[in-house]
Amino acid sequence: MGNEVENHEEHRAEGVGQHGRSGSEPGNVTTRIRARYGDAAVRGGNAVGCESVIAERDTHLPFMTFLKDDPELSFDYLVDVTAVDRLQLDEEIRFAVVYQLYSYKHNRRFSVSVPVPEADPWIGSVVSVWPGANWLEREVYDMYGIVFEGHPDLRRILMPDDFGSHPLRKDYPLHGKGERDNFVF
Amino acid sequence: MGLEDQLQENVMTTKVDAMVGWARKNSLWPMPFGTACCAIELMATLASRFDLARFGAEAIRFSPRQSDLLVVSGRVSIKMMPVLKKIYDQMPEPKWVISMGACASSGGVFNTYTLVQGVDQYIPVDVYIPGCPPRPENVIQALIKIQEKVAQAKAN
Repeated sequence: MGNEVENHEEHRAEGVGQHGRSGSEPGNVTTRIRARYGDAAVRGGNAVGCESVIAERDTHLPFMTFLKDDPELSFDYLVDVTAVDRLQLDEEIRFAVVYQLYSYKHNRRFSVSVPVPEADPWIGSVVSVWPGANWLEREVYDMYGIVFEGHPDLRRILMPDDFGSHPLRKDYPLHGKGERDNFVF
Repeated sequence: MGLEDQLQENVMTTKVDAMVGWARKNSLWPMPFGTACCAIELMATLASRFDLARFGAEAIRFSPRQSDLLVVSGRVSIKMMPVLKKIYDQMPEPKWVISMGACASSGGVFNTYTLVQGVDQYIPVDVYIPGCPPRPENVIQALIKIQEKVAQAKAN
Protein backbone atom coordinates (compact mmCIF):
# COMPACT_ATOMS: atom_id res chain seq x y z
CA MET A 1 0.00 0.00 0.00
CA GLY A 2 2.76 2.40 1.01
CA ASN A 3 4.68 1.68 -2.19
CA GLU A 4 1.68 2.46 -4.38
CA VAL A 5 1.27 5.88 -2.84
CA GLU A 6 4.96 6.53 -3.30
CA ASN A 7 4.85 5.56 -6.98
CA HIS A 8 1.81 7.71 -7.54
CA GLU A 9 3.61 10.73 -6.13
CA GLU A 10 6.63 10.05 -8.31
CA HIS A 11 4.44 10.16 -11.39
CA ARG A 12 2.92 13.43 -10.32
CA ALA A 13 6.34 14.89 -9.77
CA GLU A 14 7.29 14.02 -13.35
CA GLY A 15 4.19 15.74 -14.62
CA VAL A 16 2.91 12.86 -16.72
CA GLY A 17 0.23 11.58 -14.38
CA GLN A 18 -2.52 13.96 -15.44
CA HIS A 19 -2.71 12.98 -19.09
CA GLY A 20 -1.72 9.35 -18.75
CA ARG A 21 1.43 7.81 -20.08
CA SER A 22 2.58 10.15 -22.80
CA GLY A 23 4.94 7.57 -24.33
CA SER A 24 7.56 10.16 -25.13
CA GLU A 25 8.64 13.56 -23.97
CA PRO A 26 6.53 16.49 -25.15
CA GLY A 27 7.63 18.37 -28.22
CA ASN A 28 8.50 15.37 -30.34
CA VAL A 29 5.60 15.73 -32.76
CA THR A 30 6.12 19.38 -33.53
CA THR A 31 9.87 18.79 -33.77
CA ARG A 32 9.27 16.14 -36.37
CA ILE A 33 6.82 18.38 -38.29
CA ARG A 34 9.30 21.25 -38.14
CA ALA A 35 12.01 18.99 -39.58
CA ARG A 36 9.76 18.04 -42.48
CA TYR A 37 7.88 21.26 -43.23
CA GLY A 38 9.94 24.02 -41.60
CA ASP A 39 9.15 26.46 -38.80
CA ALA A 40 6.27 28.15 -40.65
CA ALA A 41 4.20 24.96 -40.51
CA VAL A 42 4.19 24.85 -36.72
CA ARG A 43 1.66 27.31 -35.46
CA GLY A 44 -0.49 26.58 -32.46
CA GLY A 45 1.36 24.89 -29.66
CA ASN A 46 0.37 23.17 -26.47
CA ALA A 47 -3.32 23.77 -25.83
CA VAL A 48 -4.84 22.16 -22.70
CA GLY A 49 -1.91 19.79 -22.35
CA CYS A 50 -2.23 18.39 -25.88
CA GLU A 51 0.15 19.22 -28.65
CA SER A 52 -1.54 20.85 -31.61
CA VAL A 53 -0.90 22.75 -34.81
CA ILE A 54 -2.94 24.96 -37.09
CA ALA A 55 -2.74 23.69 -40.68
CA GLU A 56 -3.67 25.31 -43.98
CA ARG A 57 -6.60 23.81 -45.81
CA ASP A 58 -4.86 23.96 -49.22
CA THR A 59 -2.15 21.59 -48.05
CA HIS A 60 -3.81 19.76 -45.18
CA LEU A 61 -4.45 16.49 -47.04
CA PRO A 62 -0.78 15.60 -47.71
CA PHE A 63 -0.02 16.92 -44.22
CA MET A 64 -2.54 14.54 -42.63
CA THR A 65 -1.20 11.67 -44.73
CA PHE A 66 2.26 12.52 -43.42
CA LEU A 67 1.02 12.44 -39.81
CA LYS A 68 -0.38 8.97 -40.38
CA ASP A 69 2.37 7.39 -42.48
CA ASP A 70 5.50 8.86 -40.91
CA PRO A 71 6.98 6.08 -38.72
CA GLU A 72 8.06 8.53 -36.03
CA LEU A 73 4.52 9.92 -35.73
CA SER A 74 2.24 7.08 -36.90
CA PHE A 75 -1.09 8.64 -35.97
CA ASP A 76 -3.06 5.61 -37.06
CA TYR A 77 -6.29 6.42 -35.22
CA LEU A 78 -8.54 9.36 -36.02
CA VAL A 79 -10.37 9.87 -32.72
CA ASP A 80 -12.73 12.64 -33.81
CA VAL A 81 -13.47 15.23 -36.43
CA THR A 82 -15.40 18.25 -35.27
CA ALA A 83 -15.65 21.94 -36.00
CA VAL A 84 -15.75 25.25 -34.15
CA ASP A 85 -17.90 28.20 -35.11
CA ARG A 86 -15.91 31.19 -33.88
CA LEU A 87 -18.58 33.73 -34.84
CA GLN A 88 -18.56 35.38 -31.43
CA LEU A 89 -14.83 35.03 -30.94
CA ASP A 90 -12.28 37.48 -32.18
CA GLU A 91 -11.20 35.42 -35.18
CA GLU A 92 -10.76 36.49 -38.76
CA ILE A 93 -11.81 33.13 -40.21
CA ARG A 94 -15.14 31.91 -38.91
CA PHE A 95 -14.88 28.11 -38.85
CA ALA A 96 -12.16 25.68 -37.87
CA VAL A 97 -12.27 21.95 -38.51
CA VAL A 98 -10.49 20.11 -35.70
CA TYR A 99 -8.96 16.63 -35.98
CA GLN A 100 -8.11 14.65 -32.85
CA LEU A 101 -5.45 12.05 -33.57
CA TYR A 102 -4.00 9.19 -31.58
CA SER A 103 -1.03 6.93 -32.18
CA TYR A 104 -1.32 3.40 -30.82
CA LYS A 105 2.33 2.81 -31.60
CA HIS A 106 3.63 5.72 -29.53
CA ASN A 107 0.62 6.16 -27.19
CA ARG A 108 0.47 9.81 -28.11
CA ARG A 109 -2.23 12.31 -28.94
CA PHE A 110 -2.21 15.22 -31.32
CA SER A 111 -4.67 17.84 -32.50
CA VAL A 112 -4.85 19.58 -35.88
CA SER A 113 -6.99 22.65 -36.46
CA VAL A 114 -7.75 23.90 -39.97
CA PRO A 115 -9.42 27.31 -40.48
CA VAL A 116 -12.27 27.34 -43.00
CA PRO A 117 -13.77 30.66 -44.18
CA GLU A 118 -17.52 31.23 -44.14
CA ALA A 119 -17.77 32.49 -47.72
CA ASP A 120 -16.27 29.35 -49.18
CA PRO A 121 -16.75 26.58 -46.62
CA TRP A 122 -14.98 23.55 -48.03
CA ILE A 123 -12.11 21.34 -46.92
CA GLY A 124 -10.54 18.17 -48.31
CA SER A 125 -11.95 14.91 -47.00
CA VAL A 126 -9.61 12.62 -45.06
CA VAL A 127 -11.70 9.50 -45.67
CA SER A 128 -8.96 8.28 -48.02
CA VAL A 129 -6.49 8.52 -45.10
CA TRP A 130 -8.69 7.30 -42.24
CA PRO A 131 -11.87 5.52 -43.44
CA GLY A 132 -13.40 6.21 -40.03
CA ALA A 133 -13.68 9.87 -40.97
CA ASN A 134 -16.69 9.07 -43.13
CA TRP A 135 -19.51 9.57 -40.61
CA LEU A 136 -17.57 12.15 -38.60
CA GLU A 137 -17.28 14.40 -41.65
CA ARG A 138 -20.93 13.84 -42.46
CA GLU A 139 -21.81 15.08 -38.99
CA VAL A 140 -19.68 18.20 -39.40
CA TYR A 141 -21.31 18.81 -42.78
CA ASP A 142 -24.75 18.34 -41.25
CA MET A 143 -24.17 20.59 -38.27
CA TYR A 144 -21.94 23.32 -39.76
CA GLY A 145 -22.45 23.16 -43.53
CA ILE A 146 -18.77 22.62 -44.22
CA VAL A 147 -18.39 20.68 -47.47
CA PHE A 148 -15.80 17.90 -47.51
CA GLU A 149 -14.40 17.69 -51.03
CA GLY A 150 -13.76 14.12 -52.13
CA HIS A 151 -16.05 12.55 -49.54
CA PRO A 152 -17.59 9.36 -51.00
CA ASP A 153 -21.08 9.88 -49.58
CA LEU A 154 -21.62 13.38 -48.21
CA ARG A 155 -25.19 13.35 -46.93
CA ARG A 156 -26.73 14.63 -43.72
CA ILE A 157 -26.35 12.08 -40.95
CA LEU A 158 -28.54 13.33 -38.08
CA MET A 159 -31.05 15.83 -39.44
CA PRO A 160 -33.64 15.00 -42.12
CA ASP A 161 -32.39 15.34 -45.69
CA ASP A 162 -34.61 18.36 -46.38
CA PHE A 163 -33.76 20.18 -43.14
CA GLY A 164 -32.12 23.13 -44.84
CA SER A 165 -30.20 24.62 -41.90
CA HIS A 166 -27.00 23.81 -40.07
CA PRO A 167 -28.03 23.85 -36.43
CA LEU A 168 -24.69 24.05 -34.62
CA ARG A 169 -23.83 27.33 -36.29
CA LYS A 170 -23.81 30.05 -33.69
CA ASP A 171 -26.31 32.21 -35.57
CA TYR A 172 -28.90 29.41 -35.60
CA PRO A 173 -31.60 29.95 -32.95
CA LEU A 174 -32.04 27.33 -30.20
CA HIS A 175 -35.68 26.70 -31.07
CA GLY A 176 -34.92 26.55 -34.79
CA LYS A 177 -36.55 28.44 -37.60
CA GLY A 178 -39.92 26.72 -37.32
CA GLU A 179 -38.72 23.34 -38.60
CA ARG A 180 -40.13 21.43 -35.64
CA ASP A 181 -43.63 22.87 -36.17
CA ASN A 182 -43.87 23.08 -39.94
CA PHE A 183 -42.37 19.91 -41.33
CA VAL A 184 -44.37 17.84 -43.78
CA PHE A 185 -44.58 14.05 -44.04
CA MET B 1 -87.31 -10.05 -18.76
CA GLY B 2 -88.45 -13.56 -18.30
CA LEU B 3 -85.67 -15.11 -20.28
CA GLU B 4 -83.51 -15.60 -17.20
CA ASP B 5 -86.33 -17.48 -15.52
CA GLN B 6 -86.41 -20.00 -18.30
CA LEU B 7 -82.70 -20.40 -18.80
CA GLN B 8 -81.90 -19.89 -15.13
CA GLU B 9 -78.15 -19.50 -14.42
CA ASN B 10 -76.82 -21.21 -17.50
CA VAL B 11 -76.88 -18.06 -19.66
CA MET B 12 -76.13 -14.40 -18.99
CA THR B 13 -77.68 -11.75 -21.22
CA THR B 14 -75.90 -8.50 -22.08
CA LYS B 15 -75.35 -6.05 -24.91
CA VAL B 16 -72.91 -6.76 -27.71
CA ASP B 17 -71.08 -3.46 -27.07
CA ALA B 18 -70.55 -4.34 -23.42
CA MET B 19 -69.35 -7.83 -24.17
CA VAL B 20 -66.94 -6.80 -26.91
CA GLY B 21 -65.70 -3.89 -24.80
CA TRP B 22 -65.11 -6.23 -21.87
CA ALA B 23 -63.14 -8.61 -24.11
CA ARG B 24 -61.08 -5.86 -25.72
CA LYS B 25 -60.16 -4.09 -22.52
CA ASN B 26 -58.82 -7.26 -20.97
CA SER B 27 -56.70 -8.27 -23.94
CA LEU B 28 -54.90 -5.12 -25.07
CA TRP B 29 -51.92 -5.76 -27.32
CA PRO B 30 -49.50 -2.89 -26.84
CA MET B 31 -47.12 -1.69 -29.52
CA PRO B 32 -44.16 -0.10 -27.72
CA PHE B 33 -42.60 2.91 -29.43
CA GLY B 34 -39.69 3.24 -27.04
CA THR B 35 -37.13 5.90 -27.88
CA ALA B 36 -35.74 6.86 -24.47
CA CYS B 37 -35.67 6.15 -20.74
CA CYS B 38 -39.48 5.91 -20.56
CA ALA B 39 -39.16 2.65 -22.47
CA ILE B 40 -37.07 1.28 -19.61
CA GLU B 41 -39.87 2.07 -17.17
CA LEU B 42 -42.31 0.48 -19.61
CA MET B 43 -40.22 -2.68 -19.58
CA ALA B 44 -40.17 -2.59 -15.78
CA THR B 45 -43.96 -2.33 -15.82
CA LEU B 46 -44.15 -5.40 -18.02
CA ALA B 47 -41.74 -7.41 -15.91
CA SER B 48 -42.59 -9.61 -12.96
CA ARG B 49 -42.56 -7.04 -10.16
CA PHE B 50 -45.36 -4.89 -11.62
CA ASP B 51 -46.63 -7.50 -14.07
CA LEU B 52 -48.85 -5.85 -16.66
CA ALA B 53 -50.22 -9.33 -17.40
CA ARG B 54 -52.55 -8.77 -14.46
CA PHE B 55 -54.41 -6.39 -16.76
CA GLY B 56 -54.22 -8.60 -19.82
CA ALA B 57 -51.81 -6.31 -21.62
CA GLU B 58 -48.60 -8.31 -21.53
CA ALA B 59 -48.64 -9.47 -25.17
CA ILE B 60 -46.22 -6.84 -26.47
CA ARG B 61 -46.19 -6.86 -30.27
CA PHE B 62 -43.39 -5.30 -32.25
CA SER B 63 -45.59 -5.30 -35.31
CA PRO B 64 -48.17 -2.51 -35.50
CA ARG B 65 -50.48 -4.75 -37.52
CA GLN B 66 -50.97 -7.00 -34.49
CA SER B 67 -51.47 -4.23 -31.95
CA ASP B 68 -54.28 -2.05 -30.72
CA LEU B 69 -52.49 0.12 -28.12
CA LEU B 70 -49.61 2.40 -29.13
CA VAL B 71 -47.39 3.43 -26.23
CA VAL B 72 -45.19 6.37 -27.25
CA SER B 73 -42.48 6.31 -24.62
CA GLY B 74 -39.67 8.75 -25.23
CA ARG B 75 -38.50 11.68 -27.31
CA VAL B 76 -39.70 11.95 -30.89
CA SER B 77 -37.58 14.05 -33.25
CA ILE B 78 -38.84 15.53 -36.48
CA LYS B 79 -36.91 12.83 -38.31
CA MET B 80 -38.63 10.12 -36.25
CA MET B 81 -42.16 11.54 -36.43
CA PRO B 82 -42.89 10.16 -39.95
CA VAL B 83 -41.94 6.71 -38.64
CA LEU B 84 -44.30 7.04 -35.70
CA LYS B 85 -47.07 8.28 -37.99
CA LYS B 86 -46.59 5.34 -40.31
CA ILE B 87 -46.69 2.88 -37.41
CA TYR B 88 -49.87 4.50 -36.12
CA ASP B 89 -51.44 4.32 -39.60
CA GLN B 90 -50.53 0.64 -39.91
CA MET B 91 -52.35 -0.33 -36.72
CA PRO B 92 -55.81 -1.77 -37.39
CA GLU B 93 -58.88 -0.09 -35.93
CA PRO B 94 -59.93 0.18 -33.19
CA LYS B 95 -56.74 1.58 -31.66
CA TRP B 96 -55.71 3.69 -28.72
CA VAL B 97 -52.62 5.76 -27.91
CA ILE B 98 -50.81 6.41 -24.64
CA SER B 99 -48.34 9.31 -24.61
CA MET B 100 -45.92 8.28 -21.91
CA GLY B 101 -43.77 10.83 -20.11
CA ALA B 102 -43.01 14.52 -20.48
CA CYS B 103 -41.10 14.26 -23.77
CA ALA B 104 -43.77 12.47 -25.77
CA SER B 105 -46.49 14.66 -24.28
CA SER B 106 -44.88 18.09 -24.57
CA GLY B 107 -41.24 17.84 -25.60
CA GLY B 108 -40.21 17.84 -21.94
CA VAL B 109 -37.01 19.69 -21.20
CA PHE B 110 -35.95 19.36 -24.84
CA ASN B 111 -37.33 22.65 -26.11
CA THR B 112 -35.01 22.56 -29.11
CA TYR B 113 -35.05 22.85 -32.87
CA THR B 114 -35.30 19.15 -33.60
CA LEU B 115 -37.80 17.78 -31.12
CA VAL B 116 -41.55 17.47 -31.70
CA GLN B 117 -43.23 19.41 -28.89
CA GLY B 118 -45.85 16.76 -28.15
CA VAL B 119 -46.83 13.88 -30.42
CA ASP B 120 -50.50 14.94 -30.14
CA GLN B 121 -49.75 17.51 -32.82
CA TYR B 122 -49.69 14.67 -35.34
CA ILE B 123 -51.49 11.63 -33.88
CA PRO B 124 -54.51 11.50 -31.54
CA VAL B 125 -53.61 10.67 -27.94
CA ASP B 126 -56.06 9.09 -25.50
CA VAL B 127 -54.11 9.15 -22.24
CA TYR B 128 -51.10 11.23 -21.21
CA ILE B 129 -48.78 10.07 -18.44
CA PRO B 130 -46.83 12.81 -16.63
CA GLY B 131 -43.39 12.11 -15.23
CA CYS B 132 -39.79 12.03 -16.26
CA PRO B 133 -39.89 9.10 -16.50
CA PRO B 134 -43.21 8.00 -14.96
CA ARG B 135 -43.09 5.24 -12.39
CA PRO B 136 -44.66 1.88 -13.30
CA GLU B 137 -47.63 2.72 -11.06
CA ASN B 138 -48.38 5.68 -13.34
CA VAL B 139 -48.22 3.42 -16.39
CA ILE B 140 -50.64 0.97 -14.75
CA GLN B 141 -52.95 3.87 -13.88
CA ALA B 142 -52.85 4.96 -17.54
CA LEU B 143 -53.67 1.43 -18.67
CA ILE B 144 -56.68 1.36 -16.33
CA LYS B 145 -57.81 4.67 -17.84
CA ILE B 146 -57.43 3.17 -21.32
CA GLN B 147 -59.43 0.13 -20.21
CA GLU B 148 -62.26 2.40 -19.05
CA LYS B 149 -62.25 4.08 -22.43
CA VAL B 150 -62.07 0.79 -24.33
CA ALA B 151 -64.99 -0.61 -22.37
CA GLN B 152 -67.16 2.31 -23.45
CA ALA B 153 -66.27 2.07 -27.13
CA LYS B 154 -68.84 0.86 -29.68
CA ALA B 155 -68.34 -2.70 -30.86
CA ASN B 156 -68.21 -1.92 -34.57
